[in-house]
Amino acid sequence: MLTEFGKIFVFILLAVVFVLIALFAAKLIRPSRPTKEKMLIYECGENPVGSPWIKFNIRFYVVALIFLIFDVEVVLLFPWALTYQDYGFYGFLVGLVFLLVLGLGMAYEWRKGDLDWERGIISPPILNEILKNKKAPLKINDSENQITEEIKA
Amino acid sequence: MDLSFITESLYFVKPEIAASASIILLVLLDLIFHKNKTIIPYVALAGIIITGIFVVDQFNISGFAFLSTDNPKYGMIAVDNFGAFFKLIIIISSIFVVAFSAYSDEINKITDRLGEYYALIFGMILGMLVLISASDLILIYLSMELLSLSSYVLAGFTKLRDRSSEASLKYLLYGATSTGMMLFGISILYGLTGSTNLYIISAALQTQSLNLLTLAFSIILIFAGIGYKISSAPFHFWTPDVYEGAPISITAYLSVASKAAGFALLIRFIKTTFVTFVDDNGNWQLLQVFDWESLLIIISLLTMTLGNFTALWQRNLKRMLAYSSIAHAGYLMLGLLVFSNQGLIAILIYFTIYLFMNLGAFFIVMVIANKTGSEDIDDYDGLGFKSSFLGVSLAIFLVSLTGLPPTAGFIGKLYLFIALVDAKMLTVAIIALLNTVVSLYYYIRVLKHMFLTSPTEKTEKIPLNFGQIAVIIIMLIPILLFGVYFSPVVDLAKSYITILGF
Amino acid sequence: MTSIPLEYYLILSAFMFSVGVTGVLIRRNAIVVFMCIELMLNSANLTLVAFSSFLGNPIGQVFVFFVMTVAAAEAAVGLAIIIAIFRNKLSVNIDEINIFKW
Repeated sequence: MLTEFGKIFVFILLAVVFVLIALFAAKLIRPSRPTKEKMLIYECGENPVGSPWIKFNIRFYVVALIFLIFDVEVVLLFPWALTYQDYGFYGFLVGLVFLLVLGLGMAYEWRKGDLDWERGIISPPILNEILKNKKAPLKINDSENQITEEIKA
Repeated sequence: MDLSFITESLYFVKPEIAASASIILLVLLDLIFHKNKTIIPYVALAGIIITGIFVVDQFNISGFAFLSTDNPKYGMIAVDNFGAFFKLIIIISSIFVVAFSAYSDEINKITDRLGEYYALIFGMILGMLVLISASDLILIYLSMELLSLSSYVLAGFTKLRDRSSEASLKYLLYGATSTGMMLFGISILYGLTGSTNLYIISAALQTQSLNLLTLAFSIILIFAGIGYKISSAPFHFWTPDVYEGAPISITAYLSVASKAAGFALLIRFIKTTFVTFVDDNGNWQLLQVFDWESLLIIISLLTMTLGNFTALWQRNLKRMLAYSSIAHAGYLMLGLLVFSNQGLIAILIYFTIYLFMNLGAFFIVMVIANKTGSEDIDDYDGLGFKSSFLGVSLAIFLVSLTGLPPTAGFIGKLYLFIALVDAKMLTVAIIALLNTVVSLYYYIRVLKHMFLTSPTEKTEKIPLNFGQIAVIIIMLIPILLFGVYFSPVVDLAKSYITILGF
Repeated sequence: MTSIPLEYYLILSAFMFSVGVTGVLIRRNAIVVFMCIELMLNSANLTLVAFSSFLGNPIGQVFVFFVMTVAAAEAAVGLAIIIAIFRNKLSVNIDEINIFKW
């Protein structure tokens, strides 16, 4: 008989086998016409080679932040969805209030323009200062390299 | 099934509901009045006053809201006089902070994000109100995080100043670490006792024999979270940096309201969980599972000594007040470590007075910084001659913070020391007294700069408008009045020490 | 059927907690420090779930829901603050965030 650890091992095994089967089946069925873009490492439209820091568009962070919160708050809806019928209309109302508050957050982001992709670029004050001086590019690269080194170390 | 057990509980949480409604209202107004936001501070003030009316309404009402499913005798929120008193302190300081923000140049510069500013202040208010009356570990954790998350953002609200964003980051890192520790402690305590309700935990501690080492470990971890909120000694490192970097109105708020909420939590946590009964003399009988007395004595003495001695060489007045607020956290703990009703009364009296004197000192620092753009002590040279009203008021607030008669600060310290002497803790009392003497030096040094140094060319007259004078006078009156006529405060405090369950 | 004893969960969570605390103390990149804090929260989650299942008491699992949402909110606020400081300093190295001293 399997122990609890055995079950976990079966799960791991299943996960690996599933991926292998899927990859192998795809290999058999799909046509193979590689292009340069297709061979790139998947990076959400960003250039995959270069400094990991400055290259990121700040908008990605904003979208990620918005997604993170709305994604996780749904956790609180699961228990409600399971039980609200037991409480009748009141139970439904409780969930509705929660959703309305979430909706208000959504409206807030919309109105503040955080959902628009094309937005006036806010340049950080320190960059403006650096750009005023003529040594600008050098200085930026310096700190950029420093950060890269920091991450490597 | 019906939800009457929830709807019945709503009666007890009116202030919290009012605060939540205000958050939503403020966000909505912020969205509707996109261009002109002059209305928002008034709405915020109205929201605070309505919340305050509900709090006053709660005086002399006691009961549990949101009853526990395990044991319907107890609930998640304990409404009692002790909580109502601290809630009132929060409300009063919130009103002052809204007034401060209206006169703060730092805040007024940020016109486009004013809606967020007040909504976040309400987030703090809601967090503190719940924290004060929470009697369940889940609620304690949640409200603490609500309070912390709002204050992280507010500390960095002037985000284009690198000092402000640095303060915010430091606050965040320290805060997240300590609440993480607290959460781990809570998870262990839950595993030991099988419940998150403080009253049920208390019953479990009395009846079951538990592994005391594990219990001590979890309590110390939980204390790390609370100690960070009240900025007590080993967890105080964020305080000076955050207080210096944050906008002054927020600094003042953190130093009074946030600390009050932390103390209310600490007192409620200890009293409901570890005190079995209160005898006729008002002494609390502690469970013999954890040596709270030694821990609190060590922490308290360490806190006040570190705070006072580090304040000695501060040149920045805001930073000096930060260290002084650390020292005051130490003094306030003295009232707790005697474990008696008398000590609790002393804490309530001290907090009432501390509210006015600390907010007053910060307000004057803010008014001066609005004009001169500096909080450096050298820039206060000769200020007492150029703007004598400000100078004299600041002097009164600082003398009160030292604890000298005839100001109210003396009464606060007097009651703390009497409680200590009654509990026969003479050594602790003497060390605390010596600390007060040390603190005299750095408070008086400001007075020396203001009144005994001749004005330099840089010193200029600080213009005051009517509102600012009114705010200062409103804070001066209690300081001077309670210094000589203090029986109302004492009577008030005496009738507001009941914590539910005893 | 032998089930995994409670101790194993607790040892794993204590280990995770220690890794988290050590990371907070020694790492210099603000984002990595933040990841270590998340590790601390998750170790507490593991303890709560393990105790909840062991005691047959659902409170622990409800607590975990709340901790997860709070952790997400904390991560969002944290990242926003880190972006703000990166705009000011072009660095997220904690050693360089040093305007305030004593």
